[in-house]
This record gives sequence, structure tokens and C-alpha cells, in this order.
Amino acid sequence: MTSRRTFLAGLMAVAAPKPSWADAGSPRWLACAREADGTYALFGIAEDGADTFRLPLPARGHAGAAHPTRPEAVAFARRPGAFALVLDCGSGALIRQLTPPEGMQFNGHGAFTEDGLTLYTVEQRASDSQGFLGIWDSEYRRLGQIETGGIGPHEVLRLPGDVFAVANGGIATDPTDRTKLNVPEMAPSLVYIQGDEVVERVALEPSLHFNSIRHLAHEDGVLAFAMQWEGEPSQVVPLLGLHRRGEAPILASAPAEEQALMQGYAGSCAFSDGEVGITSPRGNRLHRFDAQGTFLGATARADVCGLAPCPGGFLTTDGGGGVLQVTEGRARPLGLRSRSWDNHVVTL
Amino acid sequence: MRHLNALALLALTASPALADVGQVLDAQVLPGTAAFAEASTALATAAAADCRPAAVTDAWNAAFDAWLAIGHLRMGPQELAALTIAFWPDGRNSGRRTLARMIEGEDAMGTDASDFAQVSAAARGLYALETMLYDPDFASYEAGSYSCTLVQVMAQDLASQAAALDLAWREDFAPALRSAGSPDNAQFLSANEAERAIFTQLHGGVEFNADQRLGQPMGTPDRPRPTRAETWRAGRSQRNIELSMAAIQAMAQSLAGHSVEAVDSAFSAAAYFGAGIEDPAFQDVEDPQARFRLESWQGRIRAAGDALIVHIGEEMGIAPGFNSLDGD
Repeated sequence: MTSRRTFLAGLMAVAAPKPSWADAGSPRWLACAREADGTYALFGIAEDGADTFRLPLPARGHAGAAHPTRPEAVAFARRPGAFALVLDCGSGALIRQLTPPEGMQFNGHGAFTEDGLTLYTVEQRASDSQGFLGIWDSEYRRLGQIETGGIGPHEVLRLPGDVFAVANGGIATDPTDRTKLNVPEMAPSLVYIQGDEVVERVALEPSLHFNSIRHLAHEDGVLAFAMQWEGEPSQVVPLLGLHRRGEAPILASAPAEEQALMQGYAGSCAFSDGEVGITSPRGNRLHRFDAQGTFLGATARADVCGLAPCPGGFLTTDGGGGVLQVTEGRARPLGLRSRSWDNHVVTL
Repeated sequence: MRHLNALALLALTASPALADVGQVLDAQVLPGTAAFAEASTALATAAAADCRPAAVTDAWNAAFDAWLAIGHLRMGPQELAALTIAFWPDGRNSGRRTLARMIEGEDAMGTDASDFAQVSAAARGLYALETMLYDPDFASYEAGSYSCTLVQVMAQDLASQAAALDLAWREDFAPALRSAGSPDNAQFLSANEAERAIFTQLHGGVEFNADQRLGQPMGTPDRPRPTRAETWRAGRSQRNIELSMAAIQAMAQSLAGHSVEAVDSAFSAAAYFGAGIEDPAFQDVEDPQARFRLESWQGRIRAAGDALIVHIGEEMGIAPGFNSLDGD
């Protein structure tokens, strides 16, 4: 009798040479979007901004995890997520549908280990929003889970040496929707997970406990974290933190009036060549800082959220369908699609 | 509705664009920024001649009126400028506290218009000037006093800001809106994006009138907040909303390229309810009858905002922000 495993192994042997990202048109980035007709899809984006593939999704996506070598992407549903789809971006085939274990929910992000043999999915326990990383093997079978040591985790990011940084947003949510349950007591944190344990935990000073740590980027030993303010809206607070292992985080802000225009909300962050950017779809702007936290400038773009490094600067995507390249703060359109790009751009 | 669809179809066959961004710029925005710059210069001139409130308030009111014609446009150069020209609401009274501290210590920053630009936003612009000219704790200064110089400097700072704003619209942002969709335009990648940007400001302006200009003093039924009314000391809270709504209506009509009956009637209804307000500073909000009148007006203003969405926004294919509303 042929087991599923030997069947798959046989399939791999037949399908030589091994599929690679070239089979998916060599995209440089992946991003989810809502199409003009109201349907959802995952797109591959080439370096010049062109589409390389389009794979339909059954519901609104959020972010994805790209396999380091195989042309496979895991597209996560918008939280609270009941599914994640493992897609073959070359053939368009659905490889697997991942479902979190009973009582758990996906939170929109995930990451592979460097060798691509393990996938971590960010999850929260529906009953109390306690955070976990779900562990899946290379055939997408559930192996177990690790506690993230916080409530409402959002993004996970692989750092060199398979250390995983997790943004514990701190917000407990209703299991059926996004109603926030614990804002007065929320306590976000940033954790580094190695093996199966939290090896370092970073929290902000108590006066900033309303600042939900949600998105991450990394370059040259500096972890950037982007935040969303849940406190008094008129209070102008930093939305970007920079952390080196073992040190206190540096908080970075634009000058007061410019900072106020971010509306207390950073939706994505990315590093590119010593610059770190955060986007605010509410403030319709990209802010750039150097790796020491000095503000470099603002670039206006309506409903901008997706952000990724590209040669010479940043790639941005937005709800109006724009794909732009921003070099030293100056934006250049790469394309305008009749779709709404979702919050994140995943770099391959 | 049938009539409207027929109109839209006609416009569609006659021209590719349903909306007329150029008309909004030419008929309202650029004349508006120029008039605001002129009124602010006149205010600075008046204050320089005689700094005392009795000699300055007419010019301040004229500048405020001019601002209301464009004040809802929180876009382009005006996004940042609006914070230092029109910092309101100021829930923590930081403008008043900063001014008191500067006067108390005779802060040198208050005696030079270019230094004054470093002062916090809440202590600059039209609302900080209202405090100096109308608040009994500030407005009794004499000619030649520190406060006198401060008012002259504040008016000069406002005039400089208004001139810079007018220039930035004229030379940079209006051309960017007009050239929407051209290959080198990274701000507006299509004509529709420019239309959407303006439309969003119009609708946001209506919401600001309902939620802030009326919502702040209304507070909650248990706790009305009359001293949170906008420019209540100057007695022009009601006038601000009336002028703002009229300006928004005019821009909406320019943007649509024609008069839209349902929008006009919704704005007329709002104006009718506004005219029934008895205290122009909303200081009677604690009286249930007066509160009811404010609530009714607020409802009509919101209905005017809905009319903009249904009869102009949706016809132009404008949808609300995809990511800004997602919150993740």
C-alpha cells in the first residue's frame, strides 16, 4: 500500500528538476489584494512592479510566508484566521490548507526556518488570546507549538540563526471578531524565541503600554518594531522602536506635527540599506528613519500600507492599487492596478 | 435617482471624467488660499498698527472666515499647515497653557516671528490668537506690553504661514492634482485618485463639523461641555459650521461638474436647522431644548455627508480606504 508520504516522495522524484521560484516567474515580492470585482487573490510582483502570477484566495488575505527555496507561499487569512493556504506559485495548485488546532486561531503572519523544513504560524488561543507559534513540518503536518509569552501576537520574523522575533501586540480579542477586550490592561512585548523558549523579552515603559507592538523588520542586528496606539488619540507617541539584543529599545519619532499626522498608527515596517520605514494607511504617509532612529522624511501616498525593501529604497503598495518605488523619499510609480493591495508585502 | 443616472450617463458619454478637479481648484481652492493669505496679511498689518483686541478682532474674524473656506482640505501642504494654523480641538488646553507660560516668563521666542515658528502648534495660529484677543485672562494687555508684541508676532507668523500655504498650493500641489495620471506623478496615479483625494476631504469636513464642531460641546447627555465649543469666546461657533458647510457644498458642486439636486437639498436642510440655533456660541447646550436643536442640526449635517457619498462619491466610483479601515 502506498502511503501518502511515499506517494509524495515519488512525485518529487518524477518531477525533476526541483521546482524553484523561477517557475513562478521569479517574483521578488508577494502580496494579497482584493480585486475590483470583490474577490481576493495572492499576487507575485516582479522587481519592475509587474505581476508574475495571480492565485485566487477564498477570502481576504493579510500576509504570507514564502518558502526560502521552493516556489511555495503560505497565504494567511485576515485574523482571526481559520485557515492558511499553502500554494504552489508555479503551477497555481493548492498544496495544503492549514487549519489551526481546535481552540486556536491564526493571526495573519508566519515564517519558515532558514532551511525551509519548518513553518511557524502565529496563533492565539481563542479563549484568552494567549500567544503561540504553531510548528509545522516540511509536509505541513502539525508538530506542536511554542508559547510566545504574551497576548495577541501578530507578526513573527526570522532573524539570522533561526532566532524568531515575535510581536506580542498585547490586545486580547473576542474569539469571533476583532472586538478588543483588555485595552486598559494591555501589555505588549517583543520576544526573541530560540529553539522552543523565549530567550529575551522587551517591554516598553508603563506609560506606553497602550502602544501595541505589531510589525517587525530586521537588518544588521537591529530589530525594528512598528506600533499602533490604543490610548488617548490626541496623544502623539512614537510608532517605531529599534532594538539590539541585550540593549534597551530606542523609540523614534518625526517632529511633533509630522508625527501627529500618522494618526497613532503604523501598519507595516521594513528595512532597506540602513533606512527603516513605517507606513500609516490612516495618515496616508511613509516615514523614513536611519538605523539610529533619526527621522529622514515623509512621503505622502493615500492608503499606503504594504512596505518592502527594494534596490535603492522601498517598495510600497496601497489600497488604491498603486505600486511605487520610493528612493530617498521621492516616489516613482511602478504601476496602478485595479485592485486594493492588502496590508503587507512579503519579500522573497 | 433615475434623473441622476441619466445625468451621469450623459456626462460619461460626453467626457471621460465625471469629476472636475480643475474646477474645484480654479473656482474655490486657489481663490480660497489667496484670500486667506490676504486676510492674514491684513490681520498682521492691523495688529502692527494697534495690537489691542478692539483694533484686531475684525481682522482676526475676517481671517477666520477666509480659513473656513478652505480649512477642511487636510491634504498636500495643508495637512501639516493645518496643525499650526488651526490647532483645534485642544482638549488639554495646551495652547492656553503655553501662552500663559510664555507671557509669565516673557519668553524671547514670543518677540520674533521667525523664532515663534518653533513654538508648539497649539500656541500658534488662529485659535491661539482667539485666546489672546477674547479670553479675559489674556485680553486686557496694553500697547507696548509683552502680550502686545506677542500678538503682533503671532499675527505675523500666521501671515507667513498663510502666504507659504498659498504658494505651495499654487506651485506644487494644484499642479500635482491637475497632472494626475501622468507618468511622473507619484502622488496621484490616475485622475480618479485626485478626485478621490478631494472628495475624501469634503466628506471628512462634513464629519468634522458634526463630530467635532458640534460633538465637542455636546459631550454626552449627562455631561455637556460648553467650553469645548470652537471659538466660543469669540461667539462664532455657529458661524464656523455655516461657512464650512457652504464651502464644502460649493466644492462638491464643482467636483461633480454640475449641481446635484439631492446634495443641494441635504445641505439646504442642514442650513435650515443651523439657522434655528439660538446661542451662536453654543453656551446653552446644558438646556435640553438647546441641546435638542444642536442634535437635530448634527443629524442634518451627517445626512448631508451621506448625500455626498451616495450622490457624488459612489457615482465617481469612490470607495472608503481599504487598509486604513482594516486596523491590523
